[in-house]
Amino acid sequence: MAITKYLEIFRVQAKNNWVREAVYRTNFLTAVATDIVWMAIELSLFSVIYSNVPNLAGWTKPQVYFFLGIFFSSDALFTVFFMRNFWNFSDLVNKGELDILLTKPAHPLFLALTKSMSVAAVFNIFLGLGISYKFSEAAGFAGGWKWLLVFAWLMVGLATAIVLRFAFSIWIFWTERSWALSRMYYQFFAIATKPDTIYPYAIRYFFLTILPFGFIGSVPARAVLHGISNQEAIHVFAVIATFGIIDGFLWNRGLKRYQSASS
Amino acid sequence: MRLAWRIATLKNGFQDATAYRIEFLFEILGAAFVPAAIQITLWYAMFKVGGATEVHGQTFLDLLNYTITSVLFTQIRGGDLDFEVQEMIRSGQLSNYLLRPIGFLEFIYIRGLAPKLFIASLCLGAGILMSPWVQLSPGRLFGSMLLALIGNIIHYQISSALAATAFYWEEGYAILMVKNMLVSFLSGELVPLNLFPESVHWVWKSFPFYLYVFGPTQYALGKWTHTEFLIQLGFACIWLVIGWTLIRLTWGLGLKKYLSLGG
Repeated sequence: MAITKYLEIFRVQAKNNWVREAVYRTNFLTAVATDIVWMAIELSLFSVIYSNVPNLAGWTKPQVYFFLGIFFSSDALFTVFFMRNFWNFSDLVNKGELDILLTKPAHPLFLALTKSMSVAAVFNIFLGLGISYKFSEAAGFAGGWKWLLVFAWLMVGLATAIVLRFAFSIWIFWTERSWALSRMYYQFFAIATKPDTIYPYAIRYFFLTILPFGFIGSVPARAVLHGISNQEAIHVFAVIATFGIIDGFLWNRGLKRYQSASS
Repeated sequence: MRLAWRIATLKNGFQDATAYRIEFLFEILGAAFVPAAIQITLWYAMFKVGGATEVHGQTFLDLLNYTITSVLFTQIRGGDLDFEVQEMIRSGQLSNYLLRPIGFLEFIYIRGLAPKLFIASLCLGAGILMSPWVQLSPGRLFGSMLLALIGNIIHYQISSALAATAFYWEEGYAILMVKNMLVSFLSGELVPLNLFPESVHWVWKSFPFYLYVFGPTQYALGKWTHTEFLIQLGFACIWLVIGWTLIRLTWGLGLKKYLSLGG
């Protein structure tokens, strides 16, 4: 019953967003164009590096491009469903917009995180997968049913991005402005654009445990290309679950602290 | 009177930027150290893990010095003033400024310059402190900082000219996003530009972006002679004139089209 209700809310939110984006068609094109340039720059950066060395910490050029494809798709998934909501998160608290959500007969966090969607980024999910597909054979990816594994790992990447972004946004309940923390999220996010194995052990541990940005693209790419041990798989899920629990705890503490600013 | 409003704006801009001190500090630290850490790990992966001894005639130590020194200039180069200008045009807030006896673009620039000057002085101090380890001479550091500050003006000029697209187009921000991505790649902030294959050096030489980070870093590290530095300073002055002309053209045309409706 509850699931049906939430699915229906999600369907209505998605429909509203689709209608809005259909009205602003140039917005769709500019969003796609901007992301294409971003992808081109990331690919060019590795192109420059590989013009100087044959491999990077065991990753060949096609393998890195395969990884980037997965990373772009994972990021695009987050952009479609959640990115805009996290940018608006501070307004919920600062401007008292959370009041309205608290009075609705659904979980306020669900409403807050599904309100806005960026339909244009759907194109980038396929573009990322297209890049991965183009370099899959040269990267040594077995293909076939293993593409299903890619989708499963994309979900892991999405879950990681959500819990991490939430962990950077929730402090708005305690601070007046959160844009510096949001910017810091994107600074750390740049780390996710490189394969995790290039980092020295301590930094790698940090980005696979304390701030697991490596789960967004690098670990999924490594898992589908070379496979990962059961121990590492359990570690991935344990870290995401721990973040989920901490986020939930902070949300509840934040709500207790929240004072309405609206009239 | 003409000087008074400029000094007042500078003071106001500094107070505004540091009103939220922790945010200000987070921004500087995040923007400075995370990209540098990523670069250093790339060099680590190429040299220590990959076993390379020299890349384009540069050793691990050369690239490490480049990265550490470039941090001093990456903090000077940009800012989000262009997004602010673009939003003012789009929302009609520009009208408030057009009525005042000040140059709008100059006012916005001076306000944003205050924290940059503060950061520049901090970076100069940091550069002098670390000079024994990275072989930086204070004289060259001052010259490099001067070039970086001229780069900051050129950047603002180009950005303001691009922000004028908001007079014609609702989604002018996309152009600014693309420009920022190109700048981060072609300024030498992500990798030294001399690592690019020789055949594509013309790409970064065609834009002034290399004067923001790569140029100052090369001079500070002694890779450019004083004569080369003076030639590049000459190029920077030519770009200043081009930037000024671009602003006159784009804003001249844009303001003729500008309509601000409402109370």
